[in-house]
Amino acid sequence: MPQEAHISVNERTFIQDAIKEQVRLDGRAFDAFRALELTFGDEYGVADVQLGKTRVIARISVHVVTPAPERKFDGVFQIITEFSPMASPAFEVGRPTNAEVVLSRILEKAIRRSNALDTESLCIIAGLKCFALRADVHVIDHDGGLIDASCIAVMAALQHFRRPDVVVEGEKATVLSIRERDPIPLSILHQPLCVTFSYFEEGELFLVDANLAEEQVRSGEVIITMNRHGEVCQIAKYGGATVEPYALFNLTTLALQKVKEMSKFIQTRLDDDAKKRNASGLLSELSAENDRPFDKPVG
Amino acid sequence: MAPDAVLSHLHRADGSATYTHNGYCIIGAVNGPIEVLRRDERPEEATIEVNVRPAVGVGSPKERHIETLLHNTLRSIISTPSIPRTLVQITLQVHSLPDEDSSTGVSPSLTLLPHLLHTALLALLSASIPLSTTLTAVLIALPSTNTPTACTQLLSPTAIELLRAKPIRSAHVFAFSGEGKMLLNESDGTFSYEEWDEAAEAAEEVCCKEDGAVVLAENMEVDGREGENLDGWLRSVVRTKVEHEQRWKSAR
Amino acid sequence: MAVDTMVVLPGDTVPQEALPTPMGKKKHLTLGPGLRHMPPSTVSSTIAGGLVTDPKKVAAWIESNSGRYLPATGDLVIATVQTSTAEAFNCTLTPHTPYAALPHLAFEGASKKTRPQLAPNSLVYARVASATKDFAPELTCVDPSTGKSEGLGPLKSGMVFKISLGMARRLLAGKKGGVVLLEALGEKMGFEIAVGRNGVVVVDGGNVKSTLAIGKAVQEVDEQALGEKAQKKLADRVLKSV
Repeated sequence: MPQEAHISVNERTFIQDAIKEQVRLDGRAFDAFRALELTFGDEYGVADVQLGKTRVIARISVHVVTPAPERKFDGVFQIITEFSPMASPAFEVGRPTNAEVVLSRILEKAIRRSNALDTESLCIIAGLKCFALRADVHVIDHDGGLIDASCIAVMAALQHFRRPDVVVEGEKATVLSIRERDPIPLSILHQPLCVTFSYFEEGELFLVDANLAEEQVRSGEVIITMNRHGEVCQIAKYGGATVEPYALFNLTTLALQKVKEMSKFIQTRLDDDAKKRNASGLLSELSAENDRPFDKPVG
Repeated sequence: MAPDAVLSHLHRADGSATYTHNGYCIIGAVNGPIEVLRRDERPEEATIEVNVRPAVGVGSPKERHIETLLHNTLRSIISTPSIPRTLVQITLQVHSLPDEDSSTGVSPSLTLLPHLLHTALLALLSASIPLSTTLTAVLIALPSTNTPTACTQLLSPTAIELLRAKPIRSAHVFAFSGEGKMLLNESDGTFSYEEWDEAAEAAEEVCCKEDGAVVLAENMEVDGREGENLDGWLRSVVRTKVEHEQRWKSAR
Repeated sequence: MAVDTMVVLPGDTVPQEALPTPMGKKKHLTLGPGLRHMPPSTVSSTIAGGLVTDPKKVAAWIESNSGRYLPATGDLVIATVQTSTAEAFNCTLTPHTPYAALPHLAFEGASKKTRPQLAPNSLVYARVASATKDFAPELTCVDPSTGKSEGLGPLKSGMVFKISLGMARRLLAGKKGGVVLLEALGEKMGFEIAVGRNGVVVVDGGNVKSTLAIGKAVQEVDEQALGEKAQKKLADRVLKSV
């Protein structure tokens, strides 16, 4: 079953007719995202993103390796996206679909090659030891918008992650466990996020954050990755619709607005999580007060 | 503490379940009965495909080994002849493990196995795949006898308990069908036949339903932490599912 | 809440007392989905759900509202045409399942020369003519006794809305299903709706807005398990918005 089931003729016609009347199936505005939800687990570096019915979990993990000989001062950073049949029976293990290839390529360009993560900070001893960081992206539920959701998940997980501290003595490096010393946040240079624009009607109309049905009907897509400072990291276009070069300027303006909103949302969630951790962890341990049971007066 | 389960919460899969117990969290999804590839088609029964995906990285031989164990166990509870020439696709995504899981000294595939079995069963129930029976599984660890902390067996221990009871001499996973028949046993370490026998008996007590109420009450004292046995837990999960599905009947 | 329902797990034996006893003309106990008979007289369940009995029809089945649709003879379904062979359309009832055959001649008034032309991915409202585990299901769009379509046939317009299998059964069950939404809406506006047991409804309200409003309302009744009062309220809201 290497193919996603096709959308029926009725649905295709209806979605197109509705778009002509400026109506989307779920009643959203053309430039509106679905409800975004972001939660963090008990561990560091696990972000669970829900975008409408789409759900993606990103998990950051780290281990120590020898750096590549041509990049002695850099750590290793990998993003792994492997779809499983959980999201759709059309996804077969070990046989990447087109969507999977596009997703991993975009994430690679958007996050890894835009240097969102300072890989030099992952170096422990030049040429001998460095941290290898990997981001596993698990697609749990698939209702379109995988690229946008995965990008949010990976960036949120990176910002949430804490790597263990190391002590270097000469050529000997010791990795300290979380109990021995507080782990260290990653050095993140900027936070790129993706916004996908789906084109309809030969490039005359576009939607933001299309769901699966809309994705199946669209004639083309433009994916813009940028950070909240307005720096464009990559632009990709797939499908046949013709897009005017000038229209791209409008798209980047709109993308910037969306990216700013999303960055703000991610930051609030990170702050909430930090507060929660502080309340139960460090602060309570630092407090010297003892919980004394309230003695009942005798009699 | 009884395991925590959420059923049918994914939109795309035919059946799904998220299972949380002792710091292990697994998301399971079942698709089926669906079209099977010609080369995997079996003329008189359904083909079963199990995918175990680790939290970190892609599948390794360890996952392949667990998949084989799960496949063989699940094949004996799925009523395969009633859905011939179809595929039942089971995907189990490990979401999180307790921090101590890797340092317990017990093979991680054994500590994970009962949880994977439960998740797979719940997802199958959620997908309404015809089954001939249910299953329940438990991990039993036997600490080394010459340490002072050594008590008797540890019944479905948490990772921290295993860490404290180190060194563990042997670990056993048992799975029983709804009728109390043993479906699976995986043991690791050194142990005598008597010890295995005791462990199997204890596992049966935790897993299978009791006939008399008196026995159940006794059970609760011996094994206070579990509260009730796993068969009772499974029934309560299904009761919640049925109540949720039929709530329209009493709605206003 | 539904305390009287007996909840069963796969493999459980259903006690004799819980099943209706055959009386009068009906001499046989009919077992529906989720139950199987093991000779001589054991009845056990194969899925998890609530046991439902109908003493009048001497029938019992397990009610469960999850999982994939399994075709059963006589069910009304909305099928998607995939390909056309020399004699039949190959259709799917749910994605990624083996094809169900809909013969070219199984339409009202169809002959070799006037058979309908259906493009891939078009929808057909059909009845399951036969479905056994050993053969691919067969569909039909005519009533074999009258030769009339009885409302079945290609669905040319409208929009597809996915609903749960339980909701589809309720919509087709009439009064017993407890869905009053469509009647309430039908008093004030005209629309067409086709309900398939495979969890699909096709709604055509004449224009985009009404179609969407009706389809969404049906989904809302399903997801939030609305009772009759709440459904009437919802119907009022929909009528106001259109």
